[in-house]
Amino acid sequence: MFTLLAEAGGLADTAKEIGRTFGWKAPLFIAQVVNFALVLYVLKRFAFGPIQEILEKRKNRIADGEAKLEEIEQKLADSEQEKAALLEAANEDAKRLVDEAKESAAALAEKKSQEAVAQAQNILAKAEEASRAEAAALKAEIKKEFGRLVVETTTQVTGKTLNATDQKRINKEALSSL
Amino acid sequence: MPLNAESVTDSFLGIFTNSSIMVWFSTLLIVLFCRAAAGKITMVPAGLQNFAEWLIEGLYNFFGSLLGDHLVKKTFWFFGGTFLFILVNNWLALMPGVGTLGWDIEYDGGGSHYLPLLRGGNADLNMTSAMAVTFMAVWTFWAYQENGIKGFVAHIFAPKGKFQGIMMKIMIVVFFMVGILEVISILIRPIALSFRLFGNIYGGEQTLEKLMMLVPENLAFLPALPFCFMEILVGLIQALVFSLLAAIFLNLICDHGDEEHH
Repeated sequence: MFTLLAEAGGLADTAKEIGRTFGWKAPLFIAQVVNFALVLYVLKRFAFGPIQEILEKRKNRIADGEAKLEEIEQKLADSEQEKAALLEAANEDAKRLVDEAKESAAALAEKKSQEAVAQAQNILAKAEEASRAEAAALKAEIKKEFGRLVVETTTQVTGKTLNATDQKRINKEALSSL
Repeated sequence: MPLNAESVTDSFLGIFTNSSIMVWFSTLLIVLFCRAAAGKITMVPAGLQNFAEWLIEGLYNFFGSLLGDHLVKKTFWFFGGTFLFILVNNWLALMPGVGTLGWDIEYDGGGSHYLPLLRGGNADLNMTSAMAVTFMAVWTFWAYQENGIKGFVAHIFAPKGKFQGIMMKIMIVVFFMVGILEVISILIRPIALSFRLFGNIYGGEQTLEKLMMLVPENLAFLPALPFCFMEILVGLIQALVFSLLAAIFLNLICDHGDEEHH
């Protein structure tokens, strides 16, 4: 125990001797501790603190930006898919509408064509009827004129005035020979 | 250049030494840098802010790769600050005039002594030991915070691995002895950190001084010039070594092995 204490005492003396040799002094040491602490405080308060804060903020902003970019890319991909689906649906609708329009147009054309044919036939029939009526009227007028001419001729040839019965009979005979 | 820093005035308990002037100058430079780089901080960086961000982000990632996300978030201000402070001090010590501008002090009994006005901040054991002791203080605090008292002691003395029966008893004794060695190693750490940094920087300055003495005064810069470049490298490496070792020491005590950290 005494040896240990003596050793410890010897160690303390050696330490003191080393301290003296290297100019170690308590007031100087304390002053340098204060200096060092001051530097650390200044660096922490005015350099590391604000710069680390801004680095952290920037890192977060970049991470946010990346996340938003991914989100936007995802949305873009979704919207592309949606657009493609919409386009496909629109194409199908358009095709269906065109087909329907084609069908409808064909039906309409057919209907119109039939109507035109019917109208034409109608016009033709009316024209035929009018022609027939006109022919009948002409025929009647010719008959009447013929009868009048026959009666008149007969009156002039025979020199006598024909009564209504004679006129009727002569007209009938003349018409039957036409 | 003597081993110890010298007081330029006897007032204020003699704390105005030629090395402390350099330390304050470094502190001032760092403060000015911080104000210029982060005074009007913007989301889109430009100029000095760009450089400061590159530096700080690089250091953060570097220490983060050693300490992990959880620890680096808590301790970066110390390791990053220590690295920058040592680096600025080391490089400032290479500026022309440091160690060469000064005056002769005449002694009453005859003889004189040259007192340089400026001396490298880390060529003073008071500064390097101040950093090492501060590190040990925060190391102890963080080790306690991460492990608790029981965990802290168990981390040092408890057997690692799964043992049973007599093997367990042997291992308890073995790991207790290892723990004692570990405690000695922990106690030596601040001394090793202080003397390693001091020795390298003081040794470099001595080398430059001796090289300058080899040639006539008007050519003194010539032999020292190539070694100045080497000292620039040494300054960077020593800043890295100190902060790296400190980070490793912290990681060793806070390392939970395979345990999940929550």
